[in-house]
Amino acid sequence: MSAERGNVKILVFACRWCGLIGADGAGRKRIELPASYRVIPVDCAGYVEPDAVIRALASGATGVAVLGCHVGGCRFNDANHPALKRLELLKTLLDTAGIGGNRLLLGFGTAHESHQYAEMIVDFHEELKGLPSMASWLPAAAVTGDQ
Amino acid sequence: MSKISIFLCNCFGEIGKIIDLESIRKKLETDPAVDSVTIVESLCLPGDAARAHSVIRERGMGKVLIGACSPYGNMEYVRLALAKEGTNVRTVRMVDLREGCAWVHGKNPQGATRKAASQLDMELALLQNMQNSKDVAIQVQQEALVIGAGPAGLSAAAGLARLGFRTHLIDRGSAPGGLLNVVTKTYPADEPGPQKIKSFVDETNKNSLIRFYGKTKVSAVKGYAGDFKVSLAGPEGNTVLRVGAVVLATGARLLFPQGMFGYGKVKNVITQMEMERRFATSAASCKTAVFIQCVGARNGERPYCSTICCPLSLKNAMRVMDENPGAKAYVLHRDIMTPGSVLEAYYRKALQRGVQFIRFDADRPPEVRGQDQVSGVEVFDTISGVSRTLETDLLVLSTPFIPDPDATALARMLNIPVDKYGFYAEVYPIHPVETRNDGIFICGTARWPVSSDQAIAQGEAAAMKAASFLGKETVSALTMSRVPGGKLGHATADAAACTGCGNCVAVCPYEACRLQRTGNRSVSRVIKIRCKACGSCVSVCPNGAMQMPEQNYRVTGEMIRRAFREVR
Repeated sequence: MSAERGNVKILVFACRWCGLIGADGAGRKRIELPASYRVIPVDCAGYVEPDAVIRALASGATGVAVLGCHVGGCRFNDANHPALKRLELLKTLLDTAGIGGNRLLLGFGTAHESHQYAEMIVDFHEELKGLPSMASWLPAAAVTGDQ
Repeated sequence: MSKISIFLCNCFGEIGKIIDLESIRKKLETDPAVDSVTIVESLCLPGDAARAHSVIRERGMGKVLIGACSPYGNMEYVRLALAKEGTNVRTVRMVDLREGCAWVHGKNPQGATRKAASQLDMELALLQNMQNSKDVAIQVQQEALVIGAGPAGLSAAAGLARLGFRTHLIDRGSAPGGLLNVVTKTYPADEPGPQKIKSFVDETNKNSLIRFYGKTKVSAVKGYAGDFKVSLAGPEGNTVLRVGAVVLATGARLLFPQGMFGYGKVKNVITQMEMERRFATSAASCKTAVFIQCVGARNGERPYCSTICCPLSLKNAMRVMDENPGAKAYVLHRDIMTPGSVLEAYYRKALQRGVQFIRFDADRPPEVRGQDQVSGVEVFDTISGVSRTLETDLLVLSTPFIPDPDATALARMLNIPVDKYGFYAEVYPIHPVETRNDGIFICGTARWPVSSDQAIAQGEAAAMKAASFLGKETVSALTMSRVPGGKLGHATADAAACTGCGNCVAVCPYEACRLQRTGNRSVSRVIKIRCKACGSCVSVCPNGAMQMPEQNYRVTGEMIRRAFREVR
């Protein structure tokens, strides 16, 4: 258990139009980021269902980040607006269930905000450092993360 | 299941010097789904796609996974180049190993390698579990509807007809021309308004491909890009048109300044449009004319600039001086907006002509003197810092363009967004005159306040965009996208699993989901042409009836499972 602490694993659902273009920018600027996150590209933050977040937490992620366009600047008109509402509600539910709403990060930025993207990843990594994985009861071979 | 060919790009060392591609290759080769793993020096140079394709063909044309730079930059072209060679573009997936891995984890090669292996493993899961959306093709109705016959609509209709498309031009007025019909002199060329659009009106009358419907309004719109069914209500009763594209040129109107600067109470306080009418009837005689700019514009409610009022006041001020020898003209402004070489020269001309410009502050607007008849204006000149009283017998208020009151209803009918003031919103900034609803184009002052010259140019632009769409005989759902190479796929509704809750209908930003009555229950149906593959319906469906075949629940589940598992 104690070895699990600090072993941060972040699953990032990033929208292909803003979040991931921001990530590209961070790469081009060679901003050093912790290698503790994995990215699932989605076409829109609206695609991310609450169960996917819960499933990610249950299968070993310490935290989940959903990155989309600014509210009002969504590629798909306003698809990220209901997504924000849905996931904010999930945050409350995670808090109520004792899992902690801070395990879910909702980030909204534009394609050129690569510094913001990098900052979010670094801060989220720091935030999750003290928290154990939700799947710490799984066999050690099943859960390995990177620092 | 077809096997997967993997290409790992070294990017001349940019990827290879951080990520241990050789160890990843060894791990990936043990996966039973993988056919071959090839490490290549580059994938983006000329000839690389052909070489990669020869490997793919040799291995039996399976699915392709590429680990290289970001798919949102150069790799899109690699994907398209592969498609050109004959690979199915939708079974080529890319993993970002450079921007998202090597370059952000340069000081942590081991972590970067582990992450790269995980990301490749996740994308493998996608390729293994993905299904392909069935494409739907529709016949494009090669006719266009242009709503509004002002300068923008006229130039759009003339442009479309010249390219050979049957065009229906409707207007709620009885004759084409719009606001320009009122204007007897336009800036900066000083030609009469109707003269400016004469060539387009002639085209409308002469060209048999254009049909003009006067006193006609749109009552209902059904269908989608390529096949709209538009109901018109006009003097000849109801008509239903089937058109492939719609150009919206409904224009705008000028704000009515009721209660501002004594308008409506004090005589000879008039708007610019009334001034134009006075010029038309030669009743514009006065000794002094004062123009107040930005009346009801560039304030909290309407922070935008209406573009036309400054040149309009310059023109009318000079005209007052021309038609009334010895008359004076003052323009009270907050800033004179005359961008470009032509309008700036026009401003200099007005200065030379003797038009006087006084700058006032928004917090300290001019005050009107006079009870029944305007006698003067008191203005605090911010440049000299003194209050001045101008004696005048005519006060003209420059009010901004505001959206037409019918515009919002029409926007709702056509399912296009409006901005916060009520003007039609385009897909900003990379797709001018296009709207989020494919096949519907906007131009002229309905889109944003513009001068008639710009409206004509935008009408031409909208005509060209509409023509490039109408020129196709058929369009298929998967190619209906602004992304090169088409969209990812489209949502599908499983009628057996659907309970008809309507969540998808509520959340769809494109009105692509519809509830359809079958038997005694309602079932969701996706209009594939409209779907843009955002996946909003998937995330709100409580039964898993809505799926994106390319990234279905199995794909997402497997990707999540593989994200942090020990890489083999």
